[in-house]
Amino acid sequence: MRKTLLTLALGLATTAAFAGAGHGGSQAAVSDADIDRTIRVEAGDMWFDSEKLNIAPGETIKFEIVNTGNVEHEFVIGDAEAQEAHRKMMQEMGGSHGGGGGHGGHEGHDMAEGEHGGSMPSVTIAPGDTAELVWTAPQNVDGLQYACNIPGHYEAGMSGNIDLQG
Amino acid sequence: MANSRVITHPMSRRQILKGGAALGLGSAAALSLRPSWANPWGQTNVYSKGVEEGPEVSLAIRRESILIDGKEARPISINGTSPGPMIRLKEGQDAVLRVTNLLDEPTSIHWHGLILPPGMDGVPGVSFPGIAPGETFTYRFPVRQNGTYWYHSHSGLQEQLGHAGPLIIDAAGREPFRYDREHVLLLTDWTFEDPMAVFRNLKTAEGYYNFQERTVADFFADVREKGFAATAEMRGMWAKMRMSSRDIADVTGSTYTYLLNGHSPEENWTALFKAGERVRLRVINGSAMSYFDVRIPGLKMTVVAADGQPVQPVPVDEFRIGVAETYDVLVAPEDDTAYTIFAEAMDRSGYARATLAPREGMAAEIPERRKIADRGMEAMGAHGMGSMEGMDHSGMGGSDMQGMDHSGMNGSDMQGLDHSSMQGMDHSNMQGMSGEENRMNANGMLAAGAAQPGSRYDQAGIGIDPGERRMLVYRDLKAFTPWPDRREPERELELHLTGNMERYMWSFDGKKFSEVTGPIHFNKDERLRLILINDTMMEHPIHLHGMWMELENGQGELIPRKHTLNVKPGERVSALITADAEGSWAFHCHLLYHMDAGMFRVVKVS
Repeated sequence: MRKTLLTLALGLATTAAFAGAGHGGSQAAVSDADIDRTIRVEAGDMWFDSEKLNIAPGETIKFEIVNTGNVEHEFVIGDAEAQEAHRKMMQEMGGSHGGGGGHGGHEGHDMAEGEHGGSMPSVTIAPGDTAELVWTAPQNVDGLQYACNIPGHYEAGMSGNIDLQG
Repeated sequence: MANSRVITHPMSRRQILKGGAALGLGSAAALSLRPSWANPWGQTNVYSKGVEEGPEVSLAIRRESILIDGKEARPISINGTSPGPMIRLKEGQDAVLRVTNLLDEPTSIHWHGLILPPGMDGVPGVSFPGIAPGETFTYRFPVRQNGTYWYHSHSGLQEQLGHAGPLIIDAAGREPFRYDREHVLLLTDWTFEDPMAVFRNLKTAEGYYNFQERTVADFFADVREKGFAATAEMRGMWAKMRMSSRDIADVTGSTYTYLLNGHSPEENWTALFKAGERVRLRVINGSAMSYFDVRIPGLKMTVVAADGQPVQPVPVDEFRIGVAETYDVLVAPEDDTAYTIFAEAMDRSGYARATLAPREGMAAEIPERRKIADRGMEAMGAHGMGSMEGMDHSGMGGSDMQGMDHSGMNGSDMQGLDHSSMQGMDHSNMQGMSGEENRMNANGMLAAGAAQPGSRYDQAGIGIDPGERRMLVYRDLKAFTPWPDRREPERELELHLTGNMERYMWSFDGKKFSEVTGPIHFNKDERLRLILINDTMMEHPIHLHGMWMELENGQGELIPRKHTLNVKPGERVSALITADAEGSWAFHCHLLYHMDAGMFRVVKVS
């Protein structure tokens, strides 16, 4: 499962760092032409405006995540197990993203397997900000979720399912 | 069914008619002896159950025979149940609550935690004259808030007789969390003794309900661990303070049956869920005297509201709930299995229990009760023992106290320690002793939101081993948005919580309510800081009516709003108040017998 996710083309809009691991060696940003669809997601306190997203395998999505809440949120894509592991790590770290420091998974420079959470596309959004995340839905994967794993946020309701039709 | 009820209570029927009130006898709530909100399926969009729904509600107060824990009891009932029905209002409504007194003595209802006009607050002698026998009083107020609250009598010791119930206000807007189902968990402490007899026992014999005095065996165990001199010294110290180090609660499980939604642990009230649901538990401590430590082994609880006000979510394993506090927690049981809701009394003399299960008739293991804790030296915090202040107690459970170095506190420091002489102590020299950086404002006072030196917001309190599981502490509570009034406090008002256990006298600043000459005065619209210094060896849940207290727990502009503040022994706690509610308001310790003994003041805003 983790391996499959690694083959995704993904971009972290906040850091402008891209992962090329296992993606045909391409280090270039995904151009607008490659994007099949833009999905706007509203992140509030403590919810996402949709609880389910229908996406086709292979479809490249540009997520525009708008934080209309009063506190920082994140948008992370992964299966339930990876989300939970990420949540545990966030809990141990006291939930701080520390202004971009100290959270390997959000640096986006190393998407290789090994460092926990590093393989999950994710973006952190400050209150009032909008962030973008480009993601290509994988083939033959199910059970994907999107979530905010800042301590307590997932538990309070910040998660949804990605339904990959096909 | 309605008829049979009328036949059973012909007097009540006549009095109802005399009272001229529509008492809602036809509603489902009035027909069962069991609180209808304690229905095992709880409230969901689908399973809406009978409750007293606003905006117009009629309540009849009676004394009647109801079985409690399977035994004959004579509680005070509200619409036929004890504890009373859940009152459900909606934010934005104009509530009309008609309360008819069918007792042979005056009564009242106080809507705990609600911001409302002073005449509607329900405190006899402060807000209104009370409700005389046979009379109906109509409370009318706009509902301007939402969340989990409760209501109870503010007359004499009636609250001890079950004169209390949940008060839930549905939000007009979206709440900062999602859930599929909700349950109310109301904790109470029931005694089959007459509350007046309980009070007399407390007055005549300190430790009457405390069977956990240290024994000779304990003494020798201490000597083995600490040596003879240290042990004798500690014993002598506690004796001088006329306290036992095991006085955790003054009324205990020796008389109390701890109830959850009116049911004893053996009756095992069951809250149902379906696996995969997110369940909101609205936990209310409606007991007279008992603090509880609440946990559900196997489930993480995420605290999403405190005293009805939303807070940024905190996942915990356990939380301590002081008398009159409320916490809303979310749980997400994923397995098709039963979980025990375990509310252990702080003094470990008993517990309330229910089961969270996918079907009725299930039960899970009941956790072992923890050992009774000793009051540690931390209780001495505000007693002028400056060297204690800078100490890091965070890693210490009550049982770890042996390892402490008490060398700085020799017996001579303790001599002549008398609570009454502690007033007027200058605590200003304690400022800056806590670990954090304390900013001062122009008046030389601490900046708004900063934690006072002498506060212990990072500790849950006595009898908790912080390493055992993640326990909620006051420091965790953080609002979503700043309270609109961001003014720095213009002045500080310092009050000492004082007491004499031996004579069972409890007071503020050493004066019982019967001895004070006038109210505490707040200037209308002033911004003030209330500082509470606990000079006693017990926890006190301090409740201000009519206005929020913003607990200065170090969260800056996101400090949480509360109606009841737990002040631990020796602790110094502060809150910011915007004195915008003109009128007279009650201010008191919410331990019922402490309030009755004199730990009560009137606050006048003008």
